[in-house]
Amino acid sequence: MKRPPLTTVAVLVLLAGTYLYSAGRLLLRRGPAAVDPSIEVIRFAHWQIEPGVREAFDEIAADYMALHPKVRVEQMDIPGRAWKQWLRTGLAGGIAPDLVELASYENSDEMLARYFSPITSYLEQPNPYNADEPDLKDVSWRKSYVAELVPLEGVHYFSTNLLEYYGAPSAMVTVRVFYNRELVKAALGEDRVPQTFDEFVALCAAIQRRADVMHEPVTPLAGSWFNVTKITDSLFSASSQTVALTLDISRDLELTKQEGLINYVRGRWSLATPAVRTGLQTVEAFGRYLASGWSQLNREDAMMQFLQGRAAMLVTGTWDAGGILSQADFPVGAFQMPTFRRDDPKYGRWTLGPLSEANTFAGVPFGITRTSKHPERALDFLRFLTSRKSNAKFSRISTWLPVIKGVPVPEVSEAFQPIEEGYVGGVNIRFYSVEANQVLLQYLYLLSGSTASADVFIARASGAFERVYREELERLTRVSRETLRQKDSVIAGFYQLERGTGLARAKFDRLAANQLTVEAERLRALRTIADYPAAK
Amino acid sequence: MVVGVLGAARAAHAAPAPDDGWQNLAGYLFRDAHGAFSRAPIAGDRPRALGVAASLLNEPPVSPGKVADVEAQLRQLMADNSADDPAIYARYLLARIAHLHRPAETAEVEAAYRAVVTAAPAHPLAQLAAGKLALVLLYQRPDLPVPERIAGAAALAPVAGAEQLPETASSYYRALAEAALYYNVLDDRVLGWLQRADAIGTHDIMTATSLRIQLAEVARALGHREEALGYYRQYLATAVRTDSRYLTAKEHMTDLAKETK
Repeated sequence: MKRPPLTTVAVLVLLAGTYLYSAGRLLLRRGPAAVDPSIEVIRFAHWQIEPGVREAFDEIAADYMALHPKVRVEQMDIPGRAWKQWLRTGLAGGIAPDLVELASYENSDEMLARYFSPITSYLEQPNPYNADEPDLKDVSWRKSYVAELVPLEGVHYFSTNLLEYYGAPSAMVTVRVFYNRELVKAALGEDRVPQTFDEFVALCAAIQRRADVMHEPVTPLAGSWFNVTKITDSLFSASSQTVALTLDISRDLELTKQEGLINYVRGRWSLATPAVRTGLQTVEAFGRYLASGWSQLNREDAMMQFLQGRAAMLVTGTWDAGGILSQADFPVGAFQMPTFRRDDPKYGRWTLGPLSEANTFAGVPFGITRTSKHPERALDFLRFLTSRKSNAKFSRISTWLPVIKGVPVPEVSEAFQPIEEGYVGGVNIRFYSVEANQVLLQYLYLLSGSTASADVFIARASGAFERVYREELERLTRVSRETLRQKDSVIAGFYQLERGTGLARAKFDRLAANQLTVEAERLRALRTIADYPAAK
Repeated sequence: MVVGVLGAARAAHAAPAPDDGWQNLAGYLFRDAHGAFSRAPIAGDRPRALGVAASLLNEPPVSPGKVADVEAQLRQLMADNSADDPAIYARYLLARIAHLHRPAETAEVEAAYRAVVTAAPAHPLAQLAAGKLALVLLYQRPDLPVPERIAGAAALAPVAGAEQLPETASSYYRALAEAALYYNVLDDRVLGWLQRADAIGTHDIMTATSLRIQLAEVARALGHREEALGYYRQYLATAVRTDSRYLTAKEHMTDLAKETK
């Protein structure tokens, strides 16, 4: 008989070994609960696999288990790529963990209603784990948060359709420019961060000059489509703040996505609007300092360029801070992307001032699944996790910004703090639809390199933006119609449940009011589409 | 307390309660709701019959056939007794179906809402219907000149703006003001509608905050200096820390104060 080749045997042994190892881990994981039924096992799942986060959660879980010896807390970090399928399978099969990280783009209203328990009433009670904090012991759990969990549209912890809180958040993130302090010092002669956009461009130029002189393979900016949009977001917005106020239909000093689209379709602004054109010109100014081929690279590539010292700066979210700080073998600094002042003769004509980051909302919220075997214990752990002491520990280890009042920002994270003394944002052409983002990325190369030209970008890309903006407004009306339809049934449910106890200010009333507002927005969009047809 | 509420959520799965169908409906669980309403005998139970129709309307997969079935069920409810609460709700849902769930001419939609309003003007559902009718007039009657659209919608205020449903009334007045602003109409009526919305109030923190800014900005645009300054001050005194508009509003107030010195 012919023997199988050695490589085949090796592969089979490896597979068998991997299987046995995995099976063993699973058995060990479930062991204590099976052996000792008096032990309560709480599992919490998230996709934050960035360095530091898992370690922070582990330490907090250990603290909790020390306090409650009959409880075992298990952390499950699931990679983002597998998250959606993993979560759906777990929820549908009734085997989801007790606590699950929530995100508004991952969890539909139907999913929240079916699989998660609302925690609104608990958030209005004090958090018992803050009992030793004189200023928090009598404050509700919700108000112990820095931003008091304001129920804004789009936040991950509250459903504006269900009018319930489903999650308690743990952290906050902002976007910053991370820089190699040695390279900056070598270029400028000192470790100094730019205060204005011109200084930022000058810093890029100085780094490039030094690299050319020293024949070093260093580019000023680590580049990828992801990181570049983090730069353009603030520049597009800062260059058009006063224009945004003129497009604000409802006059509440906030240009919503729908108002932006409606006024685009009505012809009130375009890429050629001087303020929008100015925003595009800012990319001309820094685009030449990006690593070559940046538009084909992804965020991991950009991170690698920076960590290997091949790029002096990297613009990214502070969620990457833990990874950067732990992996870089050079000193790292961080600063907010500087924009321009009102008196900037080139870019500041439609600028109000620095962009406010005050409404940066809290993230990494965990919700309690309805299938939890120990919902009371899960709630208790959630309270512990978001107490002042635990949040301080989480922030210190992960370097992510704290969300609970009075928690000191770790020294290393001070540059990440949201700017609260700032102004409203302007027109960011990429924000109006997913497709607009794709169109921007498709044509962005026209704004970088030695032949960069905002006018060429406008000439080539305007048609595509016109198409995607109009389509987005139409799409919004279709999506809105579906939620409005559903609310007709939901409101009927609340009517029957609440009419005996009074409808005024009850959920029936609040949801009907919400429906009226959303329906007005939808019909306004439809009126616009009908009154301003696309040019033939 | 903790055990009570979270425990109740679990218990609800095990032992169906009488309100199960409505609870499911309120929680967007349309299939579960339809199952709960359909399981029990229906003869003579008009609220339950309404529940069957209201849940079928959105039971996935939604289809034109189901919508037609719902319409037939609602018409039957009205035929059996046209004046009780299930009948009033059936009439309202029929108007909603014509407006949003199947294609219909604007005239049919308008007539359907008017039928709800005239059948029982003091009923909460008449208020809901009047609010929707206002939107039809504002945005779905291009045959009317803009002033007539606005006037027609504003004329519904006695019903649509009734204080029996304060949140809905506040939303209606805001909708009037924002429609006028959309059509570039800026006069004292707009300020009046916003003031009415503010006076009625809302539990929604962000809406209440935005209203104060709208009042200040509209009053400023109309030249009502003192009123505008007052609204700016009120906003600045009550705005939450996470409101990114704070500095912009403060600057507008300062500019206004300087302008007239």
